[in-house]
Amino acid sequence: MKKPNRLIRNFCIIAHIDHGKSTLADRLIEMTGQVSKRDMEEQLLDSMDIERERGITIKLTPVRMFYDADDGNEYIFNLIDTPGHVDFTYEVSRSLAACEGAILIVDASQGIEAQTLANVYLALENNLEILPVINKIDLPSARPDEAKKEIEDVIGLDASYAPLVSAKEGINIKEVLEAAVKYFPAPDGDEDAPLKALIFDSYYDNYKGVILFVRLKDGKVAVGDKITTFRADKVYEVTEVGVFAPSLLPKNGLYAGEVGYIAASIKSIQDVAVGDTVINAEDRAAEPLPGYKKVQPVVFCGIYPLDGSRFNDLKDALLKLQLNDASLVFEPDTSQALGFGFRCGFLGLLHMEIMQERLEREFNLDIITTAPSVSYRVIKTDGESLFVDNPSHLPPVSEIDYMEEPIVHADIYSPPDYLGQIMDLCREKRGVFEQMTYLDANRVKLEYKLPLNEIIFDFFDQIKSRTRGYASFDYELIGYERSKLVKLDILLNGEVCDALSMIVHEDSAYTRGRTLCENLKDAIPRQLFEIPVQAAIGGKIIARETVKAMRKDVLAKCYGGDITRKKKLLEKQKEGKKRMRTIGSVEVPSEVFMQILKTNKD
Amino acid sequence: MAGIYVHVPFCKSKCRYCDFTSFPDKLGFAESYMTCVYREMLMRKEELSGYTFDTLYIGGGTPSVIDESYIAMLVAAARKYFNLAKDAEITIEMNPGTVSADKIKLYKKCGINRFSVGLQTAIDSQLRELGRCHNLNQFVDCAKLLKGENFNADVMIGLKGQTLDDIDKTIQVAAAFGASHISMYALTPEDGTPIYTDYLNGELPDGDEVADMYEFGVKKLAELGFKRYEVSNFCKEGKESRHNLNYWRRGEYIGFGVSASSHINNVRFTNTFDLDEYFKCILSGCLPVIDRQEIDLPARKEESIMLALRTAEGLDIGKFNAEYSADFFKDYAPALEKNASALQTVGGRLRIKDEYLYVQNTIICDFLS
Repeated sequence: MKKPNRLIRNFCIIAHIDHGKSTLADRLIEMTGQVSKRDMEEQLLDSMDIERERGITIKLTPVRMFYDADDGNEYIFNLIDTPGHVDFTYEVSRSLAACEGAILIVDASQGIEAQTLANVYLALENNLEILPVINKIDLPSARPDEAKKEIEDVIGLDASYAPLVSAKEGINIKEVLEAAVKYFPAPDGDEDAPLKALIFDSYYDNYKGVILFVRLKDGKVAVGDKITTFRADKVYEVTEVGVFAPSLLPKNGLYAGEVGYIAASIKSIQDVAVGDTVINAEDRAAEPLPGYKKVQPVVFCGIYPLDGSRFNDLKDALLKLQLNDASLVFEPDTSQALGFGFRCGFLGLLHMEIMQERLEREFNLDIITTAPSVSYRVIKTDGESLFVDNPSHLPPVSEIDYMEEPIVHADIYSPPDYLGQIMDLCREKRGVFEQMTYLDANRVKLEYKLPLNEIIFDFFDQIKSRTRGYASFDYELIGYERSKLVKLDILLNGEVCDALSMIVHEDSAYTRGRTLCENLKDAIPRQLFEIPVQAAIGGKIIARETVKAMRKDVLAKCYGGDITRKKKLLEKQKEGKKRMRTIGSVEVPSEVFMQILKTNKD
Repeated sequence: MAGIYVHVPFCKSKCRYCDFTSFPDKLGFAESYMTCVYREMLMRKEELSGYTFDTLYIGGGTPSVIDESYIAMLVAAARKYFNLAKDAEITIEMNPGTVSADKIKLYKKCGINRFSVGLQTAIDSQLRELGRCHNLNQFVDCAKLLKGENFNADVMIGLKGQTLDDIDKTIQVAAAFGASHISMYALTPEDGTPIYTDYLNGELPDGDEVADMYEFGVKKLAELGFKRYEVSNFCKEGKESRHNLNYWRRGEYIGFGVSASSHINNVRFTNTFDLDEYFKCILSGCLPVIDRQEIDLPARKEESIMLALRTAEGLDIGKFNAEYSADFFKDYAPALEKNASALQTVGGRLRIKDEYLYVQNTIICDFLS
């Protein structure tokens, strides 16, 4: 048995959004000279446009660094960046599985946040060594001692050796690197054993095929090797292996303990699943590595191409996105109003928004998305039970005995000043109070049972706005409960628009219907004729608004020189019309399907 | 049918809503400018020798501010260089307060047989608000000088503080003093004009109010015997502006002067908007064209539809099919079906029904590809 290189450290960084994870990662990369400061773009690891714009990390990104430690050795660090948002817990669990250690960044003035805690526990479950780092010590509001105390009280970690740093100002970065050498264990495994490599991510390259991001636990892999995976039957010949520098850097081989990539002309995206184990086809390992729990999507929506003829482009785009985000699920769906498209499942609302944005930006697709929904359990009168996440697939009312909706357990962390506001909100959202714990003088944990369908719309925004951004919130699905649910239909010009139907609680149906009609009245542009906008439950109209007929839509004077200019104006107007869907005889802007639900009026 | 347009870019003052090419402070250049226009005409003489022109339109600006002798020379030049039909319609735009009996006498003598007067509104306070340099009395004086002539009065709706009564009064005045043609436009607050500020501050009537004004105006005009032959143009029997009808029938025309545009042989082109540039070009013997666009077959069809649907006569389907080897009812079936309730076919012509004429853009858009 040959032990892996003792001079390797594989670790990730856990932090709350905005606590400085990407900035610290950038500093570490800079300190180790992997990328010269001159070439460095801000926030190197957040390479997607959306990530830079929103200041968040969505995709995990690995990078390899060399560090000359004070003990005289040169160490290889493999840093795997992780997303901070609760919706991306799945991504986090994937990167944790590839590491031995985790740096926990805590903001010196804000302390630990709820979402961070969830990831810390995840790391502890994965037996990772945790190194707390107190960041932003340069801020006047920094209270590093309180932050340390909080780490000890809340997580029970010894924080006495936690480096005090400012990633932004580059203070004490070296201490972090030294601590990583000292506290994180070297990888174990056996270089001579048959190859076992965990696929923790992948993406499709037009020239090289699927690029697998792997962590080698045992064995080695080199160009020319025949590989396969536990779940696949096909055998591939390795064409390239290498490491992340942070761009792909080819090497002769990868060995146990290392993090790197494998390209093997894998053409089909479906053939390799993230979480699967790569093995040598001629020297098969007996057991796969433990993958990670397949997460269940909780939020669903329909995604349709604005231009119906681009259905196949949308399908290809979803397949490619799924390749490096296995948590995305989708199946073909049709809507009377929107034509052919897909019903997609996401881990949360942010996850959904990010995916929609990536479809539009990275694949240049114009899409229409329907209102988000959750998955309901329907128990029919004949005893059969089924899950329905698309309101238009609900059986007729007469066949439904009763329905159940998903319930979450929510932890809300807040300074005590805002308890009233939070409790009001939870009451409005049909929440059931369970427990309140004072974590310290400035921090309270509220626990609530809440229906998931109440929190997928604007709960997060509401929490933030009602507590001036101080509260944070985390939730987990705990099961299904029986509930009085009804299907709310929207009629445009007398015709039901299936893409606007939704399942709501009976008590809020009337208000929802009225708000929806009001929002639609404002969102639908005036047309040649008057358009009634109605909300109905089971054929009974409960609310009505009217989009008045258009009165003036004409170009003034149109003489000689004006003709070209006026035609351009009409063409522009025509472009606007193209972004609309004709439902029955009504032209509806594509944003309506999503937007109306987000701007709930109070 | 073909027309000639001449742009005279001088004005006494700039109106607050104006975004046309006009220079209120450059009257001193009038002589040089008109000389250049004659030269520009000469430069086009050969090229247009095969054309017979049925109309000549002298627009602006305010062509009536410059000395009438330049206008007389202009008409003479047009006759000399081009085949201007014997019975050609020759129009000049004028503003009240810039004309005298002598001026009009000379206009008539040189062959001008149609006049277009900028009345805009009969309410003096609104005229001031628009930055017009005349009042109602001056319009009345001007109209009296034009007694018995074929003349148009421009009328605006959508003005700040305007009431239906104000519109009624304006139309009554124009009709009572002999206008045979009335153009009724909604004020369009263009970005960059002083009146745009009023628009931004919400001081102008909104779309629905303007629509009310328009409908009211259409009704009043009809009562007075003015027939709507284009969305903004109304006239007594047989008094349509032939020059403008030519535009809407996608006819050919040649434009002279700064900012003038032309449509000849399926090419649309525009002269420079810059006065100095115009002088420089002409004096160095070049044409002052800055923008030239060939109109391909699909664009021709679109233009034909877009322009014809503005008019009461509508689109001549037979002519359209013949000209473009098209099958109109088949080619445009989706747009026709979608807007079936707003369209009608009368005598082989497709037109927008009266009650939908003021919301025509959305209908026309469906016919564009």
